Amino acid sequence: MYETIGIWVGAFFTLAIYSFLYKENPVYRLAEHLVVGISLGYTMAITYDVVLKPRLIEPLIGGHAWILLIPAALGLLYITRFIPGIAWLSRYPIAFVMGTGMGVAFPLTMKSNVLRQLEAAMIPFYQSGMPWHVVVGNIVLVFGTLAALIYFFFSKPHKGPFFGTGSKIGIWIIMLGFGATFGFTVMGRISLLIGRIQYLLGDWLHLIE
Amino acid sequence: MSAVNIWERMLNIDRRWIFLSIGVISIVPFLTKIGMPVSTTDEVESIFNYVDSLGKENAIFIGFDYDPGTQAENTPMGVAVMRHAFHNNVSVFLTAYTPLGHGMAGGALDYVTNPAVPGYYSRVDFSQWADLRDAGVTDKDELVAAWEAAGHELPEGSSGWVFEGRDFAYLGYAPLFYLVILGMTASIEAQYHQDANENPLSEMPMLREHKSLREVDLAVTVSGSSACTAWVIYGREKIGLPVAFGVTAVSATDYYPYIQSGQIIGQMGGLRGAAEYEVLLKEHGITETTDKAFTGMDVQSADHILIILFIIIGNIAYFMGGFHKQKSLKGRG
Repeated sequence: MYETIGIWVGAFFTLAIYSFLYKENPVYRLAEHLVVGISLGYTMAITYDVVLKPRLIEPLIGGHAWILLIPAALGLLYITRFIPGIAWLSRYPIAFVMGTGMGVAFPLTMKSNVLRQLEAAMIPFYQSGMPWHVVVGNIVLVFGTLAALIYFFFSKPHKGPFFGTGSKIGIWIIMLGFGATFGFTVMGRISLLIGRIQYLLGDWLHLIE
Repeated sequence: MSAVNIWERMLNIDRRWIFLSIGVISIVPFLTKIGMPVSTTDEVESIFNYVDSLGKENAIFIGFDYDPGTQAENTPMGVAVMRHAFHNNVSVFLTAYTPLGHGMAGGALDYVTNPAVPGYYSRVDFSQWADLRDAGVTDKDELVAAWEAAGHELPEGSSGWVFEGRDFAYLGYAPLFYLVILGMTASIEAQYHQDANENPLSEMPMLREHKSLREVDLAVTVSGSSACTAWVIYGREKIGLPVAFGVTAVSATDYYPYIQSGQIIGQMGGLRGAAEYEVLLKEHGITETTDKAFTGMDVQSADHILIILFIIIGNIAYFMGGFHKQKSLKGRG
């Protein structure tokens, strides 16, 4: 019974959101506002249920883990942003999160996103027994990376055989990348539509399995 | 009516006609069931082969690191990998990077264990097999034998038993998840004292065998954002944890460099990636049928053909109407 009601509610709001494609209307706006409100409400409930309750309230009450009062107090300082006179206190938890976040993230992020990628771009064009298409791929990879980097080098005018030609090739490489991304984006948006149609035709109308 | 007006009208067509045609084209293939083939790619095959090489002594993480907005693309990926792991008796930890992902993980687990879904797995809750656990029966084969000897018969249509705490642990959402990943490199239990169903991790057999991420064989992050990179940065780079991505099509191109650099073992890109995994599951006899992602591929192909046609027609109208010589289209400022 409750499942059926849920499916009908889902179908109604799916159609309500898609009604925007015809033109904006009050039903669409209702659905839009509900999405925002329910998402926030759900997030708050889950955060209380799986974070605050088991990780703060229960250890404090049941386990007398008084040390947790320190992060709890630090967290509460966020709320001072709503009180103009002491709003500056909210900078402390922000500074704490930023500082620890940066400290933890910086070395590993540098290693993962910079050094590893540099390493992966330093490859031999040819090795014995390497198939020709891999050789071509390696050449495109290395020169494509260099050309794209030249395009983003703004301290020299993009003129002459090196910077001029390099930046032109670079923009072509970048455009090819944008084209691939656009193609994937179309595929992604259609996939989301497919998901909704499967819901409407399958779960709601039972026209498909 | 002059020729120029025809081109102009084509370029200024009411966009609602385009939406309508996309809508119609998206519905028809579901009803006609063309069943166009889906070929598999190296990126997805490598994930499949890796999971296929694992057995009952192994464990994987599946991170449901997305929100409902990308559910249509991401959920089939998580479902497919979970089915594969359950088939091979690999223990599965389910986590979420965001609060809304918590529900996505639970929903995927419910789907795989739903008796109404073909090829489902029969779920045995943590409390239901407490006696066997207390008796020290935790090996999967022995557990299934003891469970069935206790009078439980595998329902018709079920693919097998999955025991909560042995085959899966629904850990769910934890805040600042990148720090949680980092913490789990030392101890999973230190980050999650209990699972999402309030079962203590200390009593779970799979936690005794896989205490930290160092004792885990793979993390598959099913992601609708850059959350997936956290598994590479804090899991792969810190302790060498093998990582695989299941990402939305929109972000797929962003993560190909991670394949090339060898930081991830493979990637499922969008619904297509999930469909490929479903095809591999069927081809290897792990499931009898494909699922929602594969079903959607006919629609995907039909819509792509329509969009290509629109682009071609739009370009023909643009050049034939001579609009490439103008600074802006008439009627568009």
